[in-house]
Amino acid sequence: MRTVLDPTGERQTSARELLPRPSSLRGRRVGLLDISKARGDVVLDRLEELLTADGAVVHRYRKPTFARTAPVDLRHEIAEQCEVVIEALAD
Amino acid sequence: MGATVGSVLLSDGLVAVVKRDCPTCVLVEPVLRELGAAVWCQDDAGWFDGDDTELELSYRLGIETVPTLMRVEGGTETARVVGWSREQWEGLTGVTGLGPGLPEHRPGCGSLSVDPGRIDALEARYGGSGLSSRRVELADLEDEHEALFDRGWTDGLPVVPPTPERVLRMLRGTPRDPREVVAVVPPDLVECTVEKVAVNAVMAGCLPEHLPVVLAALEAACAEEFALHGLLATTYFSGPLIVVNGPVARRIGMNSGVNALGQGNRANATIGRALQLVERNVGGGRPGEVDRATLGNPGKTTFCFAEREEDSPFAPLAADRGVPGDAVTLFAGSGVQPVVDQLSRDPESLARTFAACLRVNAHPKLPMAFDAMLVVSPEHGRVFREAGWDRARLLAELDGLLTLPAGELLRGVGGMAEGVPANLAGADLPKFRPGGLLVAHAGGDAGLFSAIIGGWVSGEAGSSPVSREVHA
Amino acid sequence: MHDIADLERRGVVGLFLASEAFADAARLQGEALGFPAPFVLVPHPVQDRTDEELRATAERIHPQVVAALTA
Repeated sequence: MRTVLDPTGERQTSARELLPRPSSLRGRRVGLLDISKARGDVVLDRLEELLTADGAVVHRYRKPTFARTAPVDLRHEIAEQCEVVIEALAD
Repeated sequence: MGATVGSVLLSDGLVAVVKRDCPTCVLVEPVLRELGAAVWCQDDAGWFDGDDTELELSYRLGIETVPTLMRVEGGTETARVVGWSREQWEGLTGVTGLGPGLPEHRPGCGSLSVDPGRIDALEARYGGSGLSSRRVELADLEDEHEALFDRGWTDGLPVVPPTPERVLRMLRGTPRDPREVVAVVPPDLVECTVEKVAVNAVMAGCLPEHLPVVLAALEAACAEEFALHGLLATTYFSGPLIVVNGPVARRIGMNSGVNALGQGNRANATIGRALQLVERNVGGGRPGEVDRATLGNPGKTTFCFAEREEDSPFAPLAADRGVPGDAVTLFAGSGVQPVVDQLSRDPESLARTFAACLRVNAHPKLPMAFDAMLVVSPEHGRVFREAGWDRARLLAELDGLLTLPAGELLRGVGGMAEGVPANLAGADLPKFRPGGLLVAHAGGDAGLFSAIIGGWVSGEAGSSPVSREVHA
Repeated sequence: MHDIADLERRGVVGLFLASEAFADAARLQGEALGFPAPFVLVPHPVQDRTDEELRATAERIHPQVVAALTA
């Protein structure tokens, strides 16, 4: 276990925090990132329909293999095109 | 009955600390076994029953020499001898005829717990180190450098992870108490202790001997007249620039010569960076949040140099400002503008060159608006030195040359809308407010160049330079 | 999870879906990464389900997904 000392005025948590969440998905650009595991796409297809019905604008992505992190170009593309991303489906 | 020393239970009776690497310890092994002492070994867990390879007991008991033999009664140490001395050992144990084949006396060896390579880690782990900063445990898979970026603690470049050991080592650079408050740091107005400065100085890459300069720079930067909050929040380019005077500069290896305003010198680079990291991490001043600079300038990562006091035509900058000796002067500096004059051989001509270049600071038609620092190089400085011009003489000359007729500065003149309002027509206007132009001496031996470091807004609305003593 | 950690760093609000068999691994990896990546679990296994079952799964987790992505 490595320990470092907090360099801040310690008014906030020192943990890495999640980004603030939007109040709703309506009008948000939501990426669905398929990790290329068998049949995950069936779940994502239905989720796309449901999110679209919620008012989200859905973009679909697929990474080449579930065994590795997504290529940097793909992550950049998602960051450029989306405000929200859902990665699926690890089993 | 016994005593708890940290996580170690110490029984009453004879207790010894040894290391196998020490010939004296090897020599007294039979004596210790005969006495039935509880023996703790520092470097070989299997030699005796007691395993102190973590050195916790040695550290907590303040063992400096091995072997050390102690008597513990009712949980309290009542006697201690170091090394081997038959007389002393017999006195402590009350047993006579110890080690019949041994010499009368044999000095011991140094304890591993005071080894300079281990003492910081031991102090951090077991010491009442006096450190009060929150300890942040990094997760196993976290890359420690990425972890520091992820928490928002860096300026965009990697930082040295501020482990407790490193921070303790940094604090040795100052006699000041780690809990002492150095300054209240804007924009969040957070009280910043010596310890927090040390944490950020570690991250910046400082050595302990740099710390006193960083502390002085922070005090100066947080002085009210420096207006650090405004300097941070402005859309203008500026950030704090540190000029160091006095013997401390050379002692800690600062650069005042070749490439003084550039890269490559650890002290220059890390002292300036440490101040910026304190401002970011303790003060909460981050670009895009409170820091609204339109463009900024590369010196906002780090901007610090020493004045070249040898062969300078001028008294040290801080001394001229009332702070002689080791001192820092903080200036709200923006970018560096070159001044080239390879022909002037008399001070009047060179001063005219300086004036012509200074006139365009921020805008050639804006007087009394923005401060500047003129950094005179040695080859230019020689012209003034040989003519007997000191700083005051040069400034007086520049004042005269930079008193501008308003007719040249009015809005619309020269086809430029920017300028002074028409009601100033007929007046003579100084380019710089009194005290708004600083002059320093730095640079390499060769090059008929000087530099103008643009400043920020003059006067009440802006920042005034601040000099402070560096306490060793 | 590494993808989500990176995408959040790039400013994209993220979530991943995993089967229940992955729950412990996800939690441990989140702790090891020092990043509390949010996830929603679906019943295990996935690969031998019918399309209808998988669509029902999507419908069942949909409210959790929305809840985890919004404030």
